[in-house]
Amino acid sequence: MSIIDDLRQSVIDGEMNVTQELVQKALTENIPPERILREGLITAMEEVGRRFECNEFYVPEMLVSARAMKSGLALLRPLLTAAHVEAVGKVVIGTVQGDLHDIGKNLVGMMLEGAGFEVVDLGADVPADMYVTAVKELRPNLVACSALLTTTMPGMKSVIHLLEEEGLRDQVKVIIGGAPVTDKYAADIGADGFAPDAASAASLAKKLILKQDR
Amino acid sequence: MTKREVIRAVLEGQKPPYVPWSCGFTKEARAKLQAHFGLVGLEDALQNHLLKLGSDIGFFTDIENNKVKDVFGVVWDRSIDKDIGNVEGCVLSEPTLKLYVFPDPLDRRFFDGIPERITQYNDRFRVFQIGFSLYERAWTLRGMQNLLMDFHDHPGFVRELLNTIADYNIAQVKEAMNYDLDAVYFGDDWGQQRGIQMGPKLWRKFIYPVLERMYRTVREGGKYVFIHSCGDVDELFDDLITIGVNCFNPFQPEVMDVPALLNKYRRRLIFHGGLSTQKTLPYGTVEMVQAETRRLLEMGGDGGYIFAPAHDVAGDVPLENMLAFIELVQGQPGYGNN
Repeated sequence: MSIIDDLRQSVIDGEMNVTQELVQKALTENIPPERILREGLITAMEEVGRRFECNEFYVPEMLVSARAMKSGLALLRPLLTAAHVEAVGKVVIGTVQGDLHDIGKNLVGMMLEGAGFEVVDLGADVPADMYVTAVKELRPNLVACSALLTTTMPGMKSVIHLLEEEGLRDQVKVIIGGAPVTDKYAADIGADGFAPDAASAASLAKKLILKQDR
Repeated sequence: MTKREVIRAVLEGQKPPYVPWSCGFTKEARAKLQAHFGLVGLEDALQNHLLKLGSDIGFFTDIENNKVKDVFGVVWDRSIDKDIGNVEGCVLSEPTLKLYVFPDPLDRRFFDGIPERITQYNDRFRVFQIGFSLYERAWTLRGMQNLLMDFHDHPGFVRELLNTIADYNIAQVKEAMNYDLDAVYFGDDWGQQRGIQMGPKLWRKFIYPVLERMYRTVREGGKYVFIHSCGDVDELFDDLITIGVNCFNPFQPEVMDVPALLNKYRRRLIFHGGLSTQKTLPYGTVEMVQAETRRLLEMGGDGGYIFAPAHDVAGDVPLENMLAFIELVQGQPGYGNN
């Protein structure tokens, strides 16, 4: 097995220390950081997502894999920046105003990062105007909104409404998720997509980015 | 038959004279109902069949800025969720119990007023509640993400933590069973909208053996075991029956096939809940709430079922929708003076 294969496996297994060692080893052997990222870390997280979607992996496995991936990415990041390697896209993510639940949002953030996105996490209980300010300042491709409660779901509609009012709606795709959220709700409030779990959120984000590029 | 006898009949697999109910409401929803019912106390207006004793979420000390601390030392922010709150910080920042002292499971506040409440609502089925009874207590202490990763990183610590929580609960249950109770009700959310948070393998490895120990205490005391777990957990029902569970709540229609499961588990597991709190109650019309309630009452007519909304009704539910199901359940032929 090559270093890249071993690296990929270490992320899937959630072995953070091994991941870090193998990233260092790959760099020592002059494997380009971009290749380490794409063929090692990102493909590993794609496999983690696949296993999650078919119920081989659950949240604990996803968390330890994401932690391993992030630890490897932390080593690569300065080198990627120096080599002007750009992220797949930029996502601003948060749990909407009135809602303090963040584990679902965190998982989505991790899977997006694992898919090669730059993720800016606004945290929980985020007012609509804070998303809008972030869109103005950071120019993301995507805005991702989470809500766990029926009482806070309307906060997602407020984000979309304010983006429209500010003339920013065409510049970003908006994806939503959370326990009570459905495809229909996404369509009703004018979101670009809904994903039922973190792995599908990453696939959805990639699809939307591809559409944007066309 | 008294309400207590009706619930017992359901638990024993008999056809009840009507479908019993026990409905919960959040503070905001209760305020709407209280304004409607005026001077009548809600306990009397709702006519619930379960008399809930003990304290499901425990006791709290006010600190500041809408924050409270529970007896385990966990701080809860109640600025948004005013009933329970959201955990702030992490009491067990490291995977060890060495420096942590568990609170007193026999704190008198858990038992205060039990005889008086039993006397006041003598006709109801008595349930002693233990909320956050295992996994939830563990993650509120350790942080959810930490605990989920601990299953892989520190399995010994997870076992120790879960077993210590179980010891605490067992001590409390044993004391509670000195009163004239009918059941112990353990709340512990394992589910999410799809599947189980830690997955069935880790649930069976870590959670199941500890549950078995807790539930055994109740069964050996001659009481029924009621449990609550939010989310899509029906793949665990057979395991839960094996370790002595009699009644499952909340029976969420958005995540499980309510009629199919009621039929499949008839006479083996009874269900409490079933009315949609994610869709019908907040967004449906009065007619939709009535239709869903009628379907559930019809389905439960042969037994195996206690009606309720599938969660404490939240503040976004219109009063008319709450009254719609309350009037239907209380208007069943066979109940009271009907």
